[in-house]
Amino acid sequence: CKKSTLELNNPNQITTATHWKTAADVLSGLAATYNSFVTESQTGLYTVRGVELMNGRGDDFFIRNDVSDLYTLSTFTNTASNGVSGGYWNTCYQGIFSANQVITYAPAIQMDATTKAQEIAEAEFLRGLFYFNLEINFQNVPLRLTIPVTQKDYYIAKSPATAVWAQIVKDFTDAAAALPTSYSAQWVGRATSGAAYAYLAKAYLYQGNYAAAEAAAANIMKGQYSLTANFSDNFDATHENNSESVFEIQLSDVGGTNPWTTGSGENLGTTVAQEFAPSQIGGWFEICPTDTLLSAFMKEKMPSGNYDLRLPATLVWQGETSALGGNTTFYQQPIANFFPGDFSSYHSRLKKYQNFNQANELVGANNTQYSSSNNERVMRYAEVLMIHAEAVTMQGRPQDAYVDVNAIRTRAGLAALPAGYSQTQMMTEIMHQRMIEFAREGDRFYDLVRWNLIQQALTNSDKVGKQYYTTKFNYFPIPQSELDNNPLMVQNPAWGN
Amino acid sequence: QKININETNAPLKKVLSLINQQSGYVFFYESKDIKNKTITISIKDASINETLNKCLKDEQLNYVIIQNTIFINKQENKTSIPAVSPVQAVVLNVTGLVLDEKNLPLPGVTVKLKGSNVGVVTDTQGQFKIDVPNANAVLVFSFVGYATQEEAVVSDKPLTIHMKLDDSKLNEVVVIGYGTIKKSDLTGAVASVQAKDLVTAGSSSVDKALQGKLAGVDVESAGGAPGSGMSILVRGVGTINNTTPLYVVDGMYVSSISNIAPGDIASISVLKDASAAAIYGTRAANGVVLVTTKSGAGNQTSISFDSYYGVQSIQKKLNVLNAQQWGQVDNAMHDNAGVARLPLANRPDSLGPSTNWQNAIYRNAPIQNYELNISGGGKGTTYSVSGGYLNQQGIVDQTGYNRYNLRFKSETKLGILKFGESVILSQENWQNMPGSWGGQGGNPVGAAAKSIPAFQIYDPTAVGGYAGPTGSVINVENPVAQLYLEKSTTRTNSALLNAYGQVDIAKGFYYKINIGYTDYLTHDFDYKPRYQVGSFFSNATNNINTDDNKDDNTLLIENTLNFDRQFGKSHIQALVGYTYQNENYQYNNETAAGLPDGIYQADAATGVTQAFGNASQASLVSQLGRVVYSYDDRYLFTGSVRRDGSSRFGPANRYGVFPSVAAGWNISNEKFFTNSKLASVISLLKLRGSFGILGNQEFGNYQYGAAIASNVNYVTGTGQTLWSGSTQQAYADPDIKWETSKTSDVGAELGFFNNALNLTADYYHKVTSDMLVQVPIPGSAGSTSSPYVNAGSISNNGLELSLSYHGVAHDFSYNVFGTFATNQNKVLSLGSGSEQIIGGYPDLHGEGTTTTQVGGPVGAFYLIKTAGIFQTQAQINAYRDKNGQLIQPNAAPGDIKFVDYNGDGQISDADKQYVGSPNPKFTYGFGYNARYKNFDMSVYFQGTYGNMIYNGFRMDLEGMNVDYNMSTTTLNAWTPTNTNTTMPRAVYGDPNGNDRVSDRFLESGSYLRCKSLQFGYNFKMQAIQSIGIKSLRAYISFDNLFTITNYTGLNPDLGVIAGQNIFSRGVDYSYTAYPLARVSTIGLQLSL
Repeated sequence: CKKSTLELNNPNQITTATHWKTAADVLSGLAATYNSFVTESQTGLYTVRGVELMNGRGDDFFIRNDVSDLYTLSTFTNTASNGVSGGYWNTCYQGIFSANQVITYAPAIQMDATTKAQEIAEAEFLRGLFYFNLEINFQNVPLRLTIPVTQKDYYIAKSPATAVWAQIVKDFTDAAAALPTSYSAQWVGRATSGAAYAYLAKAYLYQGNYAAAEAAAANIMKGQYSLTANFSDNFDATHENNSESVFEIQLSDVGGTNPWTTGSGENLGTTVAQEFAPSQIGGWFEICPTDTLLSAFMKEKMPSGNYDLRLPATLVWQGETSALGGNTTFYQQPIANFFPGDFSSYHSRLKKYQNFNQANELVGANNTQYSSSNNERVMRYAEVLMIHAEAVTMQGRPQDAYVDVNAIRTRAGLAALPAGYSQTQMMTEIMHQRMIEFAREGDRFYDLVRWNLIQQALTNSDKVGKQYYTTKFNYFPIPQSELDNNPLMVQNPAWGN
Repeated sequence: QKININETNAPLKKVLSLINQQSGYVFFYESKDIKNKTITISIKDASINETLNKCLKDEQLNYVIIQNTIFINKQENKTSIPAVSPVQAVVLNVTGLVLDEKNLPLPGVTVKLKGSNVGVVTDTQGQFKIDVPNANAVLVFSFVGYATQEEAVVSDKPLTIHMKLDDSKLNEVVVIGYGTIKKSDLTGAVASVQAKDLVTAGSSSVDKALQGKLAGVDVESAGGAPGSGMSILVRGVGTINNTTPLYVVDGMYVSSISNIAPGDIASISVLKDASAAAIYGTRAANGVVLVTTKSGAGNQTSISFDSYYGVQSIQKKLNVLNAQQWGQVDNAMHDNAGVARLPLANRPDSLGPSTNWQNAIYRNAPIQNYELNISGGGKGTTYSVSGGYLNQQGIVDQTGYNRYNLRFKSETKLGILKFGESVILSQENWQNMPGSWGGQGGNPVGAAAKSIPAFQIYDPTAVGGYAGPTGSVINVENPVAQLYLEKSTTRTNSALLNAYGQVDIAKGFYYKINIGYTDYLTHDFDYKPRYQVGSFFSNATNNINTDDNKDDNTLLIENTLNFDRQFGKSHIQALVGYTYQNENYQYNNETAAGLPDGIYQADAATGVTQAFGNASQASLVSQLGRVVYSYDDRYLFTGSVRRDGSSRFGPANRYGVFPSVAAGWNISNEKFFTNSKLASVISLLKLRGSFGILGNQEFGNYQYGAAIASNVNYVTGTGQTLWSGSTQQAYADPDIKWETSKTSDVGAELGFFNNALNLTADYYHKVTSDMLVQVPIPGSAGSTSSPYVNAGSISNNGLELSLSYHGVAHDFSYNVFGTFATNQNKVLSLGSGSEQIIGGYPDLHGEGTTTTQVGGPVGAFYLIKTAGIFQTQAQINAYRDKNGQLIQPNAAPGDIKFVDYNGDGQISDADKQYVGSPNPKFTYGFGYNARYKNFDMSVYFQGTYGNMIYNGFRMDLEGMNVDYNMSTTTLNAWTPTNTNTTMPRAVYGDPNGNDRVSDRFLESGSYLRCKSLQFGYNFKMQAIQSIGIKSLRAYISFDNLFTITNYTGLNPDLGVIAGQNIFSRGVDYSYTAYPLARVSTIGLQLSL
């Protein structure tokens, strides 16, 4: 028989043999790496499951018992088989695989040297961000920096947290050095050196290296970024990539019509707003703010007596009226319609990031189901300020935190802080401000863990399932599927075995 | 006797009847001779001769009187039977005795004069008396179960007839790959079944009719949906890869046999061992199912028409709570967790009338089937043409299936040439049950069980007209809305065209070319209108979700040189061949949004339309050869080899060679045996053994090269536009190669008492190595899917027995048969990194239930064991590990105690232990067919023993931790006052994990099912024969009449469900399966 009879090429996909040859291949490899942030079928880091995972364990949100994997992680009854934490792990490593391809193949490709250096740096930034998220969620994880060649290479053991942190710092540091500070209009949204510095600062903060955190943050506190005048401009689809945006996940109702699929049919919006939306307008109300969060917002009012401007921008609450700066409508309906409603024991609903000016969350801009185009601002300049404030305070210089904290407070309509705060007073203020400034932005639980206040905060809250919390829940267990399939993997000690 | 008749224009038949009454003479005539004849006659006190002369004079009829019998013939027969004078007729008064094979008198034997309708039946002494017209007469002796015999009458000396059992089975020809072979020459393990043994009457598909008929062939339902096929497993789980056998219909490979009308089948052979199957090389490792459709015969044209009508009803519904009961359990669930009650459940007045969701979707559904077959032949040509129509509505409302069949097959011999063809066309239409709407009910079957009975079905004010769940409950779909709103259909047009030509080159030596082509054209359509069903399920616009076309066609060209000659006592059959096969697949799909109401075409869409498509191609080039040698019908030898080249493998491992050898010894043909005393008891004794290597290449195309995934996109820019991405997302093994299985088989075939009792036994041992399987790789490898690799090996061994007994007594004959098979399945090595594969994920949230690892069976159940219920807090506090830590800190009284198997102080997947196998210790089937005079009946039972089932659906229905409907067994949940129960407490959120994957949900899967029961009646009245009907049979039939099992799920016969793999074999996903129906049928079979 002729050889050609049996030599059949795949008509559907190109193969590795013909890819990774051109500058275009590198560019498309980067887009594919970013896809791990937004893929909804595979627990994208910053879409539905990722957002629920980031927010579900704090004292500020309750997840109802509809999707069992979410409920159990929210009530500290999750196991290693939890599909949400397992999926998050897998997605991080899929992103790392894509980033590693760019880092591995780009150097040999003939292309503009500056672009090449920038794009390798961009992949390093993304890889650093995947490892950062792995580290804060799983603590000890395998470090994979190369592409597997043989079957043996599929299996690698965990690295100690110090090694993972060192890699994160290296990736962010290298990226900060080579990335551009901004992009042309076509490419706005890609990682900048500012994003790399901000995450470098955050990584140092998590490690307790406050001096390095301060230094990293200071790199981008030279006027490149500024707080928007309106707090709420950071959470709607009309003020995206604004002056406060340091790193922003780009979400748009483009591509296919289905957010839950992959390939050409994949919609690149997010359904996360539908998950938070109340049932009165067809939402799935999977997750709800606790009264602990609502009362945190109500703790301090503006000098005028009105509520902190961030409250009516973040929540709607039972009894909200136009008095004291409140609103009267939500999803084009009187706010009273939403209470008592689905969660009779909670008295507020989330407004931040919701498309509450629409009649519901059912249809996106492109007539696509549930698809919100609202970008996730994962690193706002406000956070850079708060990282800086915390870094200086923790170094014993609370006086140097005033500028940062007052900037946040002033925009919220609050009075400037009285002078003379001690380190403890300033940290208490920073903790409180972080809770309300960044509510639903996925920091609360991780902050409480690194401050070692999680047990106390849960105890003082109305969090359902708080009685089941123990310190082992500070990190997720290594996913069961990883244990099942990786002979070199052992469970984290707190999780047994 | 004096005869008096006065009749005007009376039917001749009536007149003859009057003569009979008055004279006592009996008439024999051919119905057609006197049909439609009327006479006018008026006679008084006439003699018999006068009467007959008057009657028959003008009717061109003659008569002969022999004793008390009057034969009436047409006049052209004048020469043979002179009608002038009865005394001239030669009359022989024949008497005789009919004996059976044991030389005992055989009563009830029909003795007929050849060429006439004259006949008598032997009496209880086996004796008969018959008068024949002349010495040239031939008598025909026939009796059910015995070979029909003819005996010439030479004198009036008493005859003694020895009836022989019908031994056509011995000379039965069995279809094997690329030819046929005398069954006695077989050296391989081949299970075959002929049309007459397949109770196809009342069966909607061929594979259903096969169930349990063949030892070692498991036919499992692939769900009860109308038009769903069956999954056939030959000799257990041979591989952890695809286990589907190779199907060959009339010489052409097909992907399924469920589209073939059961009545078209002439025979089915299942090649089980390597010797039999090796001629199919690479694709034979899972066995080969050869289907031969009916051919025409001889010179006679025959027409048969079969039809049936039946009603299907659901065999079993699940017992779930009504509205009041649900409120009670749901409130307890919330109270126990300290969570506010649902407003819906808390107000008893809000519960209103209870909706029985299962009654709302299940119905009694009709099934009807019509098949017409015309066959015949002339000089050198035979043909068979058939057409059929099946219409089956589903027991789930709105579902259904219909099938049109047309088949033509002919063969012509012309000198040294022979040519023929098979054309099998079918169209199948499915009205599918819709799938999940993204809620937690899944499809309507799951949603009907889980929907809260306090919700209503309809809401005229809602878009679409249906109500649905609202409030803080789980989003379970309204199953009625799913069925009525979503329109999901599939249409498949299948064509099988196969033509062959054959030319004799020399004596016994011929060349054959076979060209086959199959094409499956499938169209799937799925449409959802605008709806708002409760608060969770909405569809803003009318959308086409799927409008796809698939074209899957295969071309096959086979050239063979064949040799078949007898040299003295040696018989040689030899074959060499070269074949080429090419399969092409093309898929296109479009989706469209925003259609106007009532319009179903994408052109009208106002929203987004999208198109998708892909294609694939596979080729196989093979050389094959086989020699079958037999000496004196005593010593048998078969050797075969096939070399395959496949496009599915990379250049390094593209070709595979698959040889086999086999030998057989017909001991009962040996002189020493026939001379021994044993021969009087044992009529057949044959031993055979075989060894061979088979291949398996059933996995995807292009798997040896790593691909770059496109459309892994992101968004960028101030315009927020699509930034298209591509990257490698999965790994590939470039050196992937054939999966091979080495099979040894020893078998014995025994016949006792002239083969009244037959026994076939086979023992086999099969080792499959280099299994082609997607071994799961850890998530930290970063791949979105697992690569195909050659992983590990597995062994299967088993014993297969089939037994049948044919008994005859008087005019009663019966047949008892049974099959029995065991299969031990063991993993020898696994190529996964961790040397274990976890599978069997039981429900929407479940963890893996099965662990496949070395030394155990594939898909063995490894589960956390339960140890009763904690009755008191003291018991919980006492349950501590070696460090004094509470093992179940979240438990409260009423919760389940789990066994900390690994002693690490925590309950986790690491505490799983072996608790059972999904594989039966044995499977069996038995049946009984009987015939008494015109009546016949058959009954068939089938079952498994010793297998376990993980009842995944019970996890949901007895979970008592979320707000959907539950099983009535939850009414017995633990409370401080109801402690004597195995049902744990109801608690929202389930902090102790009572509902986790554990042996709580593992059940025995053994069952015995009455698969079919049929009663028939054969009309043999002259009235029917007089209008030219050869036979007419009516029957009533029942399928799945009852099932004896302890299994609590819908159906213990799980089968392999599409989308699930072999690691899930014992896991019940009944929330996705279509329930099995009980079918009651009446049918009519007519042949002309």
